[in-house]
Amino acid sequence: MKLFLTILICKLLHFFGKLIGKGSSLPGKIALKLCPDILKRVKLPEYIIAVTGSNGKTSTVEMIAHILTENGKSVAWNKEGSNQIEGVTTLVLANSTLTGKVKSDILLIESDERFARYTFKYITPTHYVITNLYRDQLTRNGHPEWVADAIKVSIKNNTRLILNADDPLVSLFGDGKDDVIWFGADKLESDTNYCEGKYDDGVYCPKCKKFMRYSSRHYAHIGHYKCTSCGYERHDTEYTVTSVDLDRGFAVINGKYNISLALKSLYNIYNILAAFTVASIVGIDENKIAENMSNYVMKNGRVVNFAIGNRKGTLLTAKHENSISYDQSIRLACSDKGGCDVMFIVDAVSRKYFTSDVSWLWDINFDMLNCENVHKIILAGKYCNDLAVRFSYTGINADKIKIFEDIRKAYDFLNCDRDEYIYTITCFSDKNKFLNLL
Amino acid sequence: MKFLHLYYDIMNLYGEYANICAMERILTKSGIECQTDRLSIGDNAKLSEYDFIYVGSGTEKNQKVVLEDFRKYAVTLKAYIDRGGVILMTGNSFEMLGDKITDANGTEFEGIGITDFSVKEQNKKRTTSDAIFKADFTDRKLVGFINKCSEIYGIDTTLFDVLMGLGNKTDDDREGLRINNLFGTHLTGPILIKNPYFLEYIANLVVGGKAKINTKYLGFEKSGYEVTLSELIRRKSAT
Repeated sequence: MKLFLTILICKLLHFFGKLIGKGSSLPGKIALKLCPDILKRVKLPEYIIAVTGSNGKTSTVEMIAHILTENGKSVAWNKEGSNQIEGVTTLVLANSTLTGKVKSDILLIESDERFARYTFKYITPTHYVITNLYRDQLTRNGHPEWVADAIKVSIKNNTRLILNADDPLVSLFGDGKDDVIWFGADKLESDTNYCEGKYDDGVYCPKCKKFMRYSSRHYAHIGHYKCTSCGYERHDTEYTVTSVDLDRGFAVINGKYNISLALKSLYNIYNILAAFTVASIVGIDENKIAENMSNYVMKNGRVVNFAIGNRKGTLLTAKHENSISYDQSIRLACSDKGGCDVMFIVDAVSRKYFTSDVSWLWDINFDMLNCENVHKIILAGKYCNDLAVRFSYTGINADKIKIFEDIRKAYDFLNCDRDEYIYTITCFSDKNKFLNLL
Repeated sequence: MKFLHLYYDIMNLYGEYANICAMERILTKSGIECQTDRLSIGDNAKLSEYDFIYVGSGTEKNQKVVLEDFRKYAVTLKAYIDRGGVILMTGNSFEMLGDKITDANGTEFEGIGITDFSVKEQNKKRTTSDAIFKADFTDRKLVGFINKCSEIYGIDTTLFDVLMGLGNKTDDDREGLRINNLFGTHLTGPILIKNPYFLEYIANLVVGGKAKINTKYLGFEKSGYEVTLSELIRRKSAT
């Protein structure tokens, strides 16, 4: 009876919440108050797939849901983005019968990396994807090792891990386990033999803290590594990006599946690869997966095309306090051979909590913008002075840089008869301050 | 002048390399040539050769690894501090200077014993906060961010008064460590970029009156500092 009532209340709250556009975590929160072990009492489907990591969770989950749905599977997933225990509870209960049985073939959970241990106290995922561990929102996350420790306690013995073999800190979760499913990229043409970023989190082995060597770097600490002391090294992969051509916009998985890229970044390819891996494990025909992923345009609003007068542009959502997401967006802009202007907005560091910390600007490799393809650089928002200081430590000529505290004035500056394509790079917290001006 | 960025590749968690960049620039702009050595684990620095030393923050595990290497400097570092050499240690790096660090598992790591204090870590909750600090050597408040999981007991010669943020231990209104020209603080990141007046103060200490420090170029730095300070004050009065 308690189960029935709790589910009913949760479903009603979720229904009315949706009508008035309210968040998806409140119904779950109330359900957990009424029945703290509700998630243990519900009958879950055969496949429970969890996805966590610093970057790419939302995109990976969206892609997995897309492939599975296209292939006739019913999927319950947290598309509304609430990824802590309350949101997951809403997800589960909203998709179950009143007697407590989840109706979908697959339960797909994006989980916040720091709070996964609470969510997975009651739900044991059958498969657990860990995408990567980067410096991300350090003002609340501490640092990647702190997050890794939090994820570690959320992993149960009877869950199969699906791990990014190219990330040494992520791979450590699979150390000593023999049933891990590994994904990663072969040595790629775009690889370097050094770290391109402003810092290198791959210098020391995460296992023994002695020096690691990379035979190839895809980006940052992502690549083919081996410890010079304990021998800890990148694991061979079962699901592999075998080649990439970002100019022509395609990637090849396992030597035979050609995927055309709607978003030409390596970063996006990792999300596709993780989704490919999960869909294949669930039993979807790999030819179909490749077809579903080809030219797939994300619906999560992280890439938005726009026009200002006669000028065209793209807004790329990077994450403030996350240098790797900025580096990837910057790399994409710099590769535009047609010439471009690039705008950065830092107005609120976070939309969820307060901080004025801008230390993370120093971890971003803005120096890449010192290239022929980039013509003007526009710095906008409350923290434009901090951006200006940061840019004064790149080799970029000050004549190229325009600074506006007022985002509207920056917009007015862009609204002119220049030919260059515009890239606006900013975070969720600030993107609507720009998009609303259009 | 010679600068040392010690453990540059492992104690650099929050963009802290920029503190050295800020020092290089202010001295260069003041007409003083400077050169920085970037050294790490396994290197043997001759501390007496330097005019300024900087160490940044690291993960708890990396700090313990560094501590084993740092131990070899116990005597030369003491001499450096005694002669008034300028050294800035941010984040958890200055925790190594005390008697011991006890980690979350209860394991004790002996500090290098420059002064008497002890550190206790936990792994349950990250204690973080924006910060406004006051120092006795400048009228200008300092701004920054604290990101830690430890409490420090027994420091008498603190560096800052806490106006907003976290002290050395819970409910402590004093923060950091000051011995002669050693500055230790749990403020993380490029604090010399964020605090141009503190940069000026440190630069003056380093040159010791041998040159006039040029601060004219610090326009954006000062504007950025004012914005952050007013944001933090607004936040503080709202809570």
